Amino acid sequence: MNAIRFQKVSKIYRRSHLGRTTETPGLVELDLDIPKGEVFGLLGLNGSGKTTAIKLLMGLHLPTTGEVETLGRRAPDVAVLARIGYAPEAAYLNKTLTGRENLSLFAALSGIAGAQRERRVTEMLVKVGLDKAMDKRLSEYSKGMLQRASLAQALVHDPELVILDEPVTGLDPLAIKEVRALILWLKSKGKTVLFSSHDISEVERVCDRIGILSGGRLVKVMTQDEWRGKADALETAFAAAVVRTDGVGPIRME
Amino acid sequence: MKRRWLGVAGVLFALALFAGSRLRRLHEPRFPPLAELTGGPFAFQDAALAVAGFRAPAADLAWIQLLQYTAGGVPELPDRPGHPYEHLKSLSLRVARLDPSFHRAVLFGSSILAWFHGIERPDEAADLLNEGMRRSPEQPLYGLYLAAIAYKKQGDTDRMVALLESSFDLPETPSTMKAILANLRQSRGEYREALALWERIRDNERDRSEHARAKAKIAELRALLRSRR
Amino acid sequence: MQTISAVYAYTFKEHIRHKAWLSGALFGLVLLGGALIVSALGQDERGRLMLDLGLAAIEAISLVSIVFLTVNLILVEIESRAIYLILSHPVRRADYLLGRFLGTVAAVALGMAVMAAMHAALLGLYGWWEPGRYLAALGCMLGKTAVMGALSLLLSLALTSEAAAMAFAVFLWLLGHFSSEMRFLADRSGSAFLKTALVAFSHAAPDFAHFNYRDFWHQPAPSADWLMWAALYALAYTAACLALAVQVFEQKEF
Repeated sequence: MNAIRFQKVSKIYRRSHLGRTTETPGLVELDLDIPKGEVFGLLGLNGSGKTTAIKLLMGLHLPTTGEVETLGRRAPDVAVLARIGYAPEAAYLNKTLTGRENLSLFAALSGIAGAQRERRVTEMLVKVGLDKAMDKRLSEYSKGMLQRASLAQALVHDPELVILDEPVTGLDPLAIKEVRALILWLKSKGKTVLFSSHDISEVERVCDRIGILSGGRLVKVMTQDEWRGKADALETAFAAAVVRTDGVGPIRME
Repeated sequence: MKRRWLGVAGVLFALALFAGSRLRRLHEPRFPPLAELTGGPFAFQDAALAVAGFRAPAADLAWIQLLQYTAGGVPELPDRPGHPYEHLKSLSLRVARLDPSFHRAVLFGSSILAWFHGIERPDEAADLLNEGMRRSPEQPLYGLYLAAIAYKKQGDTDRMVALLESSFDLPETPSTMKAILANLRQSRGEYREALALWERIRDNERDRSEHARAKAKIAELRALLRSRR
Repeated sequence: MQTISAVYAYTFKEHIRHKAWLSGALFGLVLLGGALIVSALGQDERGRLMLDLGLAAIEAISLVSIVFLTVNLILVEIESRAIYLILSHPVRRADYLLGRFLGTVAAVALGMAVMAAMHAALLGLYGWWEPGRYLAALGCMLGKTAVMGALSLLLSLALTSEAAAMAFAVFLWLLGHFSSEMRFLADRSGSAFLKTALVAFSHAAPDFAHFNYRDFWHQPAPSADWLMWAALYALAYTAACLALAVQVFEQKEF
């Protein structure tokens, strides 16, 4: 059974200014199935449609055409979100609350009852290494601590499907290693993981399959067999598949 | 499905309209329309506060300005030489039109206009009281003061004083009116009665503004009574 | 219900911990003190002035607070992207909006209660004591605050510009106190179009003129029935505005 299914999904962003409407394609006819238990990496340049695809899964965007399914339910479906964990590219958490209060809020929103909530929150804060800072306000947290708090909120309700948007961007090597270990741990627990990244080396270490997005189109899907043991195979495939759409040319130092 | 909240809003808005109509039927605030507010230099202040829903505070500020006027004038409304308190009626009306329940402004203004030494403009006082009575008929002192003005015009000072003194201890009676009454008794040579009135003023917490004058007057009247013996 | 109470609780904490709330409450107390000093000029009517100006100060500060807070309530979360995390949990948008609104009204109500307690204590020292009517006036002020909050929230979502939403909210506040005048003008108008427009506006705008217990305190008091209808009016009008706000909010993508 599929955890995620995109069926001919397109998303067009429309913006009106002074009576003129401009249309920008965010995603073009995306067809993609991700079976349960798989770790899938979405690779692409900035503006390639990675975040758009994730927002469609979370119901933050609505498709212009096509259908999105998560865990067998057509998106947007509020109830199914209780079985999904999502960590965005930055920790968009409420800075006026403490770590414990933030996590308790998301546990409550995920439907964890009061009696269980406190225990789960403390357990999760210990797991992400924030147990000593749990009663500090997030305004006092470092970037790394915020990233951990963000991961904690994505996992506190023990989701079946975990979606991580750029989870290693801006992290130090030690933190990157920890995120990698986390993804592999989730896989070992039978969870489905979808994550987006620019970082080819990270993707090739943990993914079962990858999809390369360019200009809103899924231009290539590769399985682990196609890159494992073949030096630079993924990087070469990536460079061949993507086209810059942001109007920036290559760096030439001659 | 997509527009279900519009339907909910429609039903709730209809309920609000129904509750609003019951609300208006059960109680209508007695504020004159804005067009009836007095003009003059304070018109903008009054209209701005009234439109923002602060009519009672607007009347309170107008009352303070009325007191300032009687205590020595306000720069916006100077009196012409020989025309003392020429704006007193309009300033009192200003308070009453902002909030007709501000009875003391009408009583205060009319008591000065009708009985203050050297003013003697009972017709203006009567106009003020008539408008007050029209806007707030439940205030018994308006009728009583009008009757007292009628006695004054007939020259029947005894009945006028007796009538005004019958309201002496009512909470709405302005301290100024009480002082006027005590002075009236004194001017008629009735020092003992005047002294008794000043003592009642001194002993009443509500007449705090006249306490200093009451103490001086009590001393003066006691001396007069001693010299008479 | 768990969702609404969770959103309510974090919104309430967020406001109370914000420096602006504390500054607002302090400014309210200063304003209240100013009103009491001015009342000393009222001679025989000092008690009336203390009551009127004190209640007016409480209402003015509550109005400014509720308009400012509700106009920014969702826009700030959209800007900071905190809304991504909230709505990627099983949270219905209506529940989120209601929780945010109730938390904000509760924070403003707490500020009102602090100011009212100080005001009532000072009035008590002056020898004035009418707790029943004082509570009725405070209740009506809270009703106006709730209506203005719901209206501002709706405007902020419909217009998406904070400045425009605030300007419209203030305009509706004035129009609401102008409702009797509009009916008076409609009665006297010779033009059928103007008459219809004035009557329509007088009904569409919140009827604050008939709701202003604080302002007509010194006039003959309305009955207990009136208070019941006033409460129903405020609740229904607030709920109607919130329903419209949900309608707008449900169409939004983030």
